[in-house]
Amino acid sequence: MSTNLRRDVAFPLVGAVLLFALFLGAGALYQGLLGGHERLVTFALIDAVIVLGMQIYIGNTGILSFGHIGFGAIAGYAFALLAISPVEKLKRVSDAPFGLADVQLDPWTSIAVAVVVVVVVAAVVGIGLARSGAESGAVSATVITLALLFVTHELARNWPDLTGGDRAGLSFRIGGALDTRVPIYLALFGTIIVARLFAQSRVGRLAVAAREDNLAARAMGVNPLIQQMLGLLLSVAVVGVGASLRVYEKGSILPRDFFFNLTLVTLVMLIVGGRRSVTGALLGVGVITAGRELARRLGQDGFEIFGIGLDDAPLDWIFRENLKTVFLGSAMLAFMIWRPDGLLDDWELDRWLRSRFGRRRSEQPATPPMVEVDGTDALVVRGIDVAFGGFQALRDVSIDAGRHEVVGIIGPNGAGKTTLLNVITGMVPADSGTVVLGGVDLTGRPSFEIARHGLVRTFQNLRLFSALTVRENIEVSALVAQTSRERQPPDVDALVAAAGLWEVRDRRARELDYGTSRRLELARAAAMSPSFLLLDEPTSGMSDAESTSMIEQVRLMAGVIGAGVVVIDHDLNFITGICDRIYCLDCGHVIAEGSPTEIQADPVVQAAYLGSSAQG
Amino acid sequence: MAELLQNLIDGLGRGSIYALLALGVAVIFGVMHLLNFAHGELITVSGYVAFWALGAGWSWYLVVPLIVLVSVTTSLVIERLAFSRVRGADDFTLLLTSFGVHFVVSAIFLLYVSASVKTFSRPGWVTDTFAVGSLRIEVFDTVVIGVTVLALIGTSVLLQRTMFGLALRAAAADFDTARLMGVRSDSVIRGAFALSGALAGIAGIFWLMRAGATQPTAGVNPMLKGVLAALIGGLGSLRGAVLGGLVLGMAEVLLRSRLPDSVASLTEGVVFLLIALLFIFRPQGLVAVAHAERV
Repeated sequence: MSTNLRRDVAFPLVGAVLLFALFLGAGALYQGLLGGHERLVTFALIDAVIVLGMQIYIGNTGILSFGHIGFGAIAGYAFALLAISPVEKLKRVSDAPFGLADVQLDPWTSIAVAVVVVVVVAAVVGIGLARSGAESGAVSATVITLALLFVTHELARNWPDLTGGDRAGLSFRIGGALDTRVPIYLALFGTIIVARLFAQSRVGRLAVAAREDNLAARAMGVNPLIQQMLGLLLSVAVVGVGASLRVYEKGSILPRDFFFNLTLVTLVMLIVGGRRSVTGALLGVGVITAGRELARRLGQDGFEIFGIGLDDAPLDWIFRENLKTVFLGSAMLAFMIWRPDGLLDDWELDRWLRSRFGRRRSEQPATPPMVEVDGTDALVVRGIDVAFGGFQALRDVSIDAGRHEVVGIIGPNGAGKTTLLNVITGMVPADSGTVVLGGVDLTGRPSFEIARHGLVRTFQNLRLFSALTVRENIEVSALVAQTSRERQPPDVDALVAAAGLWEVRDRRARELDYGTSRRLELARAAAMSPSFLLLDEPTSGMSDAESTSMIEQVRLMAGVIGAGVVVIDHDLNFITGICDRIYCLDCGHVIAEGSPTEIQADPVVQAAYLGSSAQG
Repeated sequence: MAELLQNLIDGLGRGSIYALLALGVAVIFGVMHLLNFAHGELITVSGYVAFWALGAGWSWYLVVPLIVLVSVTTSLVIERLAFSRVRGADDFTLLLTSFGVHFVVSAIFLLYVSASVKTFSRPGWVTDTFAVGSLRIEVFDTVVIGVTVLALIGTSVLLQRTMFGLALRAAAADFDTARLMGVRSDSVIRGAFALSGALAGIAGIFWLMRAGATQPTAGVNPMLKGVLAALIGGLGSLRGAVLGGLVLGMAEVLLRSRLPDSVASLTEGVVFLLIALLFIFRPQGLVAVAHAERV
């Protein structure tokens, strides 16, 4: 169902071949047109490997890392220490620890070992990142990566026995550098494939969901820390290969080779092209390599382009030495201000090809059949207390819900309805009380585990994965359901159609109108095939007609997956129209329970809603 | 014991400068959610102005107010040209914008001055010391600590007793609500940048007096100290920023004097490592600020 070989493997592979060919072609063209520049193109190829490595992590998780070049330094030194001949090492690092002075491996084994070393370091750093609460845009995670960059730099500078220190560094004997581009081609081709396949893989797609909305992803059973860790390891492995090749090609390594400058260059390449896209990252490498070279040339004496040059008086205020540094900084700033998503945002060549030439399912699938409910696993909530500081938000709240029923929770603003839902789904810890589903105690479990056990919620203030399409939003849940739910949800396309989203299935979630977004959020929750759907004000902001049709929508969605429903709402028409039983909350505790008619007639409920005068 | 006391005084002097820098970082983070990697550039700019003014024969007494003025102006200009254009953007964009400003400012000096270090004369009393018992106390540290205390009192009065302070604290607590309550976001943000610039100016005076030199990359170090100290204290907390600065200063002095000689050159690295560990075990910093996400 979700493993769509054409979409997730075949097209990305074709796209990778094309991208590789285009990138090489651009390099060859550049070399051919301008003559020479062999070194420039070679380093652009290597930089592409490093930048794609960064894209795997930064692009898919949304976490900004300044540390990838620090990882590069570790891999670079590991490679150099293993590959340089003992004779050469005797001159620079005769006292190298761990017996490294006597080791010599062939370059390819050295790269492999360097990658293993740096991946182990990345695993440790990754645990730290996870502990620091890493999520898209997290500041403390970014600072940890910055600290890594500085720590490796300081170590490299101040541990001359290992690194040759600040001045001498490590170097191969003359002529030891790479003499053919074939290994670089292979590395780049492999990297493009890996980066694209990762983005289409289960891990990649869940990482992207968490990037778009961490909280919503957790509510759909995703534990983002797993995807972030796997993304980091893969990304660092690729950077390790790129960094080793860089050292190999250059023939030497110094601490400053892998520090601020390279960090700036690679980050600019990544964001100018578009960090969320492999195609974009490659485009960025090309554009920035060419732009930086032009800026460097313009800063040199005697260089002219179109008759304008350094020697022309009106422009000598800008065509100066070091212009390339200004170029890089300005490019970063300009893109952040005017085009933060880069040239391509998340546009991918293979996705475009598929939309142009791929086969498309055109007929709308039939609505899936209703599922017979086995009334076994009931939701039992007992004695929940929650206090925020001195404010008692919930006091001894107990509710029950069966798989065959729709249970409503009503109450005035501030009665604690959403807090109750947050407690049930593990987003707010309860001071006391238990949440049990089908005999399994879920109290105090993290929200993604609770979701996998079958309690899936929607949010009062809509939380969709806004850059993903309608279909992709629903697929995220279906992917999680694949491994965590016994009873599988209906086919994704069938759910899309049943939710009335067939016409807009390829639109991005952020482009949808409000009512459609609500239907999508409901369908996304249903695609988890949960035991219960917990809906937080599904009709808020809707017109009467819309909320009436929402009754049908909720019944349909719950029906096709055989789930019970717990729903919070203010709209009494909606609530009485859909619920079998209703709890009324006021000031944090249950003041009434009963059928819709009983609740409407209850004087205590009337008092809570309309004020004490109604009691008389 | 005497050595420890000596270290504490040295650490307090160093930490005071960091505290001023960190407070400037924290004020801006409060109103814009922007971790300002460009904060140190205020000192780069001030450094070149000091170099030119002193070279033209100005006395330090004139250069001191000039630096504060230049720092405030630079801070406002940077806000106007760059940060005002990314208000409300996601954290990723904000982080890279300030990173970009950092590089552009230093690159401009690289382009129009030179990469080489420019030195200028330091006031004579910077290296003077006096003795209290067995302690050797630097006049400079005493002045730094004294001025910092005054600056913090001034900032505190500004924040606690004025309408601007109330607006700024409200904006720091909850920017959107503050706006709904009629706080003018434009003036609060500009005010925050001016305050941040003034604090950086004061820190910059001491930084430059001690260094007696500037270069295009001169801003990296103060930026790192300010940002790290603000993070140690807990981002968003103004008191935490001051505390973080002092802790960072103390930690550096203590490590440098206590670490065995063979690793003393690694002090910076060790400090980074300790900070990374702090984030891992206490990501919210020393002073936690509640940032509950609404669901």
